[in-house]
Amino acid sequence: MAIADKLVLQRQRHLKWQSFDKLELALMIVCGVLCFGFSLFVTCDIVTRTIGHPWLWLQEATSTLFIYAIFIGSAVATRRNDHLYLTAISEAMHGTPRLIVEIIIRIAVLGVAFCLIWFGYLNYLRGFGSFRLPSGTPIASLYAAIPLSGVLIALFTVEQLVNGVRNGFDHPEPPEIDRDMPSVDATVARAVTRAQP
Amino acid sequence: MSPPLILGVMTFCFLFFGYLGVPVPFSLMAGVFVGAILADVSLAAIIQKVFDGVDSEALLAIPFFLLVGELMSSANVVVRIANLSLSLVGHIRGGLSQVVVVFSMFFSEMSGSTTADVAVMSRALGGPMKREGYSPAFIAAIIASASTIAALVPPSITAVVYGAVGNVSIAGLFMAGVVPGLMIGFGLMIYCYFFGPSGMQKPRAPLRQVVFAAGDAALPLMIPVILLGGILTGYFTPTEAGVVAVIWIIVVVIPALNRGHIKNIPYDFCLAGLIFSLPLITIGAANAFGWMLAYLHGASVIADWIVSLAGNDPHLMMLLLVLLFTVVGDFIEPVPTIIIFMPLVNTLTQAGDINGVHMGVVLIATLAFGLITPPYGLVLLMASKFVGVSFSKALRAALPIYVVFLVTITFTIYFPKVVLWLPKQVIPESVGCFKAPGGTGYICPN
Repeated sequence: MAIADKLVLQRQRHLKWQSFDKLELALMIVCGVLCFGFSLFVTCDIVTRTIGHPWLWLQEATSTLFIYAIFIGSAVATRRNDHLYLTAISEAMHGTPRLIVEIIIRIAVLGVAFCLIWFGYLNYLRGFGSFRLPSGTPIASLYAAIPLSGVLIALFTVEQLVNGVRNGFDHPEPPEIDRDMPSVDATVARAVTRAQP
Repeated sequence: MSPPLILGVMTFCFLFFGYLGVPVPFSLMAGVFVGAILADVSLAAIIQKVFDGVDSEALLAIPFFLLVGELMSSANVVVRIANLSLSLVGHIRGGLSQVVVVFSMFFSEMSGSTTADVAVMSRALGGPMKREGYSPAFIAAIIASASTIAALVPPSITAVVYGAVGNVSIAGLFMAGVVPGLMIGFGLMIYCYFFGPSGMQKPRAPLRQVVFAAGDAALPLMIPVILLGGILTGYFTPTEAGVVAVIWIIVVVIPALNRGHIKNIPYDFCLAGLIFSLPLITIGAANAFGWMLAYLHGASVIADWIVSLAGNDPHLMMLLLVLLFTVVGDFIEPVPTIIIFMPLVNTLTQAGDINGVHMGVVLIATLAFGLITPPYGLVLLMASKFVGVSFSKALRAALPIYVVFLVTITFTIYFPKVVLWLPKQVIPESVGCFKAPGGTGYICPN
């Protein structure tokens, strides 16, 4: 299976529009690039510091990628239902009660997304008054991640809401394909064989 | 509306939405937004607090520790560690249950994440245990209990969060977590030996096989050496040590042990980029919740109540705090619990003149225990799901194991000198020691 195929989660297909799969894929790739980016920058930071020529901008760039990765990651996790949950009472329900609970859940998330968009935008505007060191870039460049995340969260929540009302939330899921991890007894047999004189 | 009532509404909203099925960060934010509206606090200020919660240099270590765990499990190198554990303790009464505990003691030193541990152990050892006749309920209970070691020993992500938010030395917490971590590990081994199923008797592995297994696992086992060595020598911060461990895996471990996985490394990065955002956005939301708790004087009210009961007795103070964290930890995850209650913890640490690292390790041990207690024992829930047994059955099997945790927590509270011995020897500054004016040795607070 190609990496691109593996990156788009096929779980809860009935709540998703095919056209948003490309957006999910793009966001997952962005998450990977950001993660690789700040790993690389921290590595460069160690190297430049060790050789006695530290590049001060590296820490600023690292924190930018880190913040964007958090907010973009949490947005794409909304579509994939990968977030941390206290419980999922709704999954034990069926019919109308399930429909009502699922709608309330999405409305609550939409409310939070709206606050992230609007008040995040206000913070973003305010952020043009403060500057980051050493580059002097307005801190608004970091704050922009919040309303951006809010827009994506709202988009994915509307997608789930519309499809859930249209197709129903209650669909049996096929069993998840587990990673191909060999169990320990297979390797024990191999190790024992290798240990034989 | 009075502050206690607003706090009550906030907490109710969080728990109501959370238990309804709203993701934890959004249910926390929903509670805070409602509280902020009632308390006439600007919602833009709340968003700022969410941002401030994640804008921390120390938290940058989390993605790297998670990436280490992700790369290790997806590249299948963990099986070598399971194999080493089997050759070391597979012959002891309890068989594979002993292997689970020893495996967790090794793997925890690499991943720092209880959930990564439980997922890896269930996949690698759950099947063989079933085939050897262990009951699924016991398998889930022992895997979940063993995986909590990851919350205590370095590079514990819970310790990173505690250190970053509470302004406590992360390296000190890492070192102080070793004693309770080992106590839980050996306690579980003793429990499995005397009270667990006997398992299938295996012959003791010949030395040659142990050496082969150790050789097979040598490259992955360098990771804790890199992480701890870098941090303890002061050469790396925890974040940098995490990066070096990632480089070690990508440049040495995977090419040497699982060359075929190289093409999947971009996928691991994408997945890690997603996975680390989940606890971090929760940290941001919990930071806003904790700020509201402090703003509405909730922390000081609880602190006053605890001080009025405990007086100046630091042990009683910690016991009451452990009780509170046990109750709270039964409903909320460790990371948001730490952040929400940090103002309270700081107040009590000062009031009782308690060492910050000691307090931290006691609370982290308590929260680790909360991961296997009902109704929201996250790792027990995960283990029961992976193993395929109902949560209630796994819970019944886990109940006797609670003794190990209760003994460990009580020991950690009452014997700070033992718990803090290691950090005092390795990084004296982390527990408040300072260099003697003469330049020889350190002067440490009692």
